[in-house]
Amino acid sequence: MHVDFDCKEQETRTTFHVVHPLDDAPEQKVDLEALGPMRMTAIVRICLLALRGYLLLMFGLLGFRVLQLAGFIRG
Amino acid sequence: MANLLYPGAQAPPAQPKLKSKQVSSKWAAHALTFLMVFGPGLIVMEADNDAGAVSTYVEAGARYGTRLLWLLLLLLPISYFVQEMVVRLGIATGEGHAAMIYRRFGKWWGRFSLADLLLVNFLTLVTEFAAIALAVDQLGVPPVWGVPIAAVALTALALTGSYRRWERIVLFLCLLDLAWFAIAFRMAPPAGEVVRHALLPLPPESGLTASWLFLVIAIVGTTIAPWQLFFQQSCVADKRLRFADLRWARLDTFIGAVFTILVAGCMMLVGAAGFERHWNFTDPAQMAVQLGALFGPIGKNAILLLMINAAVLGATTISLSSAWAYGEVRGWAHSLQKPVREAPGFYAVYALCVTAAAAVVLIPRAPLQLIILSVQVLAGLMLPSAIIFLQLLLSDRELLGDRFVNRSWNNIVNWTIVVLLFALSLLLAAQVAAPRLFPNE
Repeated sequence: MHVDFDCKEQETRTTFHVVHPLDDAPEQKVDLEALGPMRMTAIVRICLLALRGYLLLMFGLLGFRVLQLAGFIRG
Repeated sequence: MANLLYPGAQAPPAQPKLKSKQVSSKWAAHALTFLMVFGPGLIVMEADNDAGAVSTYVEAGARYGTRLLWLLLLLLPISYFVQEMVVRLGIATGEGHAAMIYRRFGKWWGRFSLADLLLVNFLTLVTEFAAIALAVDQLGVPPVWGVPIAAVALTALALTGSYRRWERIVLFLCLLDLAWFAIAFRMAPPAGEVVRHALLPLPPESGLTASWLFLVIAIVGTTIAPWQLFFQQSCVADKRLRFADLRWARLDTFIGAVFTILVAGCMMLVGAAGFERHWNFTDPAQMAVQLGALFGPIGKNAILLLMINAAVLGATTISLSSAWAYGEVRGWAHSLQKPVREAPGFYAVYALCVTAAAAVVLIPRAPLQLIILSVQVLAGLMLPSAIIFLQLLLSDRELLGDRFVNRSWNNIVNWTIVVLLFALSLLLAAQVAAPRLFPNE
């Protein structure tokens, strides 16, 4: 009797299947190739150009300092 | 499109053979899903407590006691906000960060970011192996044996062809850092002072000096590093996290941030205990020897092994961020799920990074001090620009759509972080370019 009751409960219970991301079917993500380069306003372009200049200057300074510390350049 | 939870009666007919775990309650399903998603967040955060970080936090404690704990608490939300953006980007696009910069900002920025990342990562790797050499030497193993063994183990860790295996091993290594809590507790720090210094930013007793300022910059640079952006996005993409996984990935990242900051705090407390006891050390390996007087040889060896663990965690994640980024930009197969024969270039870059860094450390009289200085400055220069790209990408509605794009408050927080990091970056660059500008105490 007790066993029967359990069986009935088993039949009506909702079960959940949890799938590991690596075992799941791949999702459709955004197509980067189709999007192409980002559309930027003139201000963003100018800021990125300034950032490029800043980084090149800083890397140049750092390279100079490293060469100085390594003894290749006298300072 | 794949769903996360399939109530038994509604499983889509197109996916009948998916390997799944069956549970009977929604709570259990959520808990299990979280455990499956859990990993990249904790790993990226805890791996940032690498050998250099151990050294920096211990030094901060040794020089200023508990008076810099507030900085760690301040860095907790900052590191979470930055990495959360990377998680969103990775889940929304399924692509790594290097690929994203290359495709959305063009070849110049793509190649520049990649070259910069590879250079900083390589120099950081050298510092990880330098720490391994110091620690194995104190353990009585000649570095000429210890360093190559570590390099072989690190290479073998990634070559298994299973993301899950790599992740489980690395998560286990992350959890070994729980030992820092026991060590800090054993030091019996004054609880009231710890809480006060964690909540109140007080100046050091010796006043504000250049060396204090640069230690603050070093802690910021150690806690938020450029490779973390590249690593976590690639990791999320390699693990193929789904749209529905976002909230669990956020929780993973938050837990990782809290755990990492707490471990960093413990390291600072251990250094502070040395400060109280007037220990004299210049690196954590020497500190471990001093700790041996308190804990005995087991305690000393435990600290040295924790140092090696920190370096190994840093080395595997940093090498992977290089290998993923290079593979993404070159268009090569780049996944830990693939066997070596299917992604030879990806694994070759990983192995090359590890081997070359180990080899540099074994060169007699290698300029390690110069390398450490270059790592700090390069990372400091790279981080603000990397976060600017992250911010621009996260504001890109065309790329992310309404669901994943930044909200206004995200933008305000992130631009504040960028301004702060730029100011610190400029100070650091000025210090390197003209050291006499900042007189020390």
